[in-house]
Amino acid sequence: MSEAKSNAKSGPKTSGRILPRERGAAPLDVVIAVMAFLAALALGASLLANRAALGWREGLEGKLTVQILPPARGDAAAALSRETGAVLKVLWNTDGIVHAGAISQRDEIALVKPWLGADALVSDLPLPQLIDASIRPGSDVDVAALTARVKAVAPDAVLDDHTHWIGRLKSLADTVVFSAYAILLLIAVATAAAVTFATRAGLQAHHEIVGLLHQMGAHSGFIARAFERHYAFSAFLAAAIGASLAALVFIAAGGLELVGLEPVPFLPPLSLAPKELLWLATVPLASGLIGWATARLSVLAALREIY
Amino acid sequence: MFGRRMVRFENVGMRYGPGPEVLRDLNFALEAGSFTFLTGPSGAGKTTLLKLMLLAEPPSRGLITLFGNDLAVTKKRDFPAIRRRIGVVFQDFRLLDHLSAFDNVALPLRLAGKRAEDYASDVIELLTWVGLGDRLEARPPTLSGGEQQRVAIARAVVARPDLLLADEPTGNVDSDIAQRLIRLFAELNRLGTTVMIATHDRSLIESTRAREMRLVDGRVVELRSARA
Repeated sequence: MSEAKSNAKSGPKTSGRILPRERGAAPLDVVIAVMAFLAALALGASLLANRAALGWREGLEGKLTVQILPPARGDAAAALSRETGAVLKVLWNTDGIVHAGAISQRDEIALVKPWLGADALVSDLPLPQLIDASIRPGSDVDVAALTARVKAVAPDAVLDDHTHWIGRLKSLADTVVFSAYAILLLIAVATAAAVTFATRAGLQAHHEIVGLLHQMGAHSGFIARAFERHYAFSAFLAAAIGASLAALVFIAAGGLELVGLEPVPFLPPLSLAPKELLWLATVPLASGLIGWATARLSVLAALREIY
Repeated sequence: MFGRRMVRFENVGMRYGPGPEVLRDLNFALEAGSFTFLTGPSGAGKTTLLKLMLLAEPPSRGLITLFGNDLAVTKKRDFPAIRRRIGVVFQDFRLLDHLSAFDNVALPLRLAGKRAEDYASDVIELLTWVGLGDRLEARPPTLSGGEQQRVAIARAVVARPDLLLADEPTGNVDSDIAQRLIRLFAELNRLGTTVMIATHDRSLIESTRAREMRLVDGRVVELRSARA
């Protein structure tokens, strides 16, 4: 009685929870965490693909390259030098060209190094002379007319505005991005199904509590709220663990580049920028939302079936 | 208070699915403030009758009126408010194992929208009255059957319901506690609650002057008035 009296003054510890706290992770929580991990990986991959596609396009748009092949007969070096000078004059006198310059032999060898290596024989190869030109953004350079003028002064020159290459890159990038989105969509659907299944299984386990609360006169909204919070939080927590692991993978990929592992040519860096990592937070938020909606709809449907 | 009908059954029948009728042609009324024992052999339909009164099941036929509401035409959204006017002691207690004795008893008050600071002292007083003042924070699995039954009874009466229905409420307690609980029901009845208790315990019935309704094979075979 003495304890009762002291409790009457201070009040016992009360629990605001209508549903029991789960002990440890249920198997379906683990499934949600794994699905969220895969969803976050797919989301990160789509961000990387998007970024790479943008980089490829920005890198080539507004650029012109003139390639002057060494003539097969006569003094190739003198002809190459004469045609290079003539082409540069044409380019410098063209409206909209802001820069034009010949690429040195050393830079050219550096360009082919990833494919041909740094062997001494490479310097003996008859490399074409490359001229790099930049177009002022917004300028409308008539590439066909420019090609004709270049051909007139250098019959061995080929002008490339990269339209064909950009088109292929764009097509490749779009394929990669849409593939990533398709995978993301599939995993999102599977994640939603896992969250829905986990929520329904949980409701089944707690149907006696639902029945009792209903019997005691609890409104449907009160019962649904207890379940909504519980399952929204569970799905959010499990998905947060999965998405965090995926974030660690992307951070670790950035670490590999930092320790000196060279990136593969043409492939973008595999690490996500901090702003991009924030996108991964949408995975647990979406999972929590699915858990919330599923719990609410399932409880309200179950209550409609009870007298 | 007397004279107003809290519960009225008219030609009520009840069957589960395609099975035979477990309750047949029930016609009776419970006046406000009355105290009734529901008796009868096992399988007579006592628990089913209580289920109809606490809106756990709809009748297969007939009319039930609770607190003036004809349940056949009452909208389902109004049922929670009716249910909150009924206190129930289930035969299997139906306590929430993850909640303390205090929180189990406080549940009807929470459902009624009351705040913990407003009801804490009432809940503690009631649990003390049923002899569990020192087990406020105990979880049901740590309580004996009799203690769980007392928590269930405290939960049923804490919101001072208009109608109290109890299914064998003294089945797991000794005679002293049983008498104490009956005094609790009587006190609640004195304050205006209509009480119906299903029991096999003849000594309990003889100890009061309440009326008795006897069910056999789903029919009311005897309706003994309250003794003077």
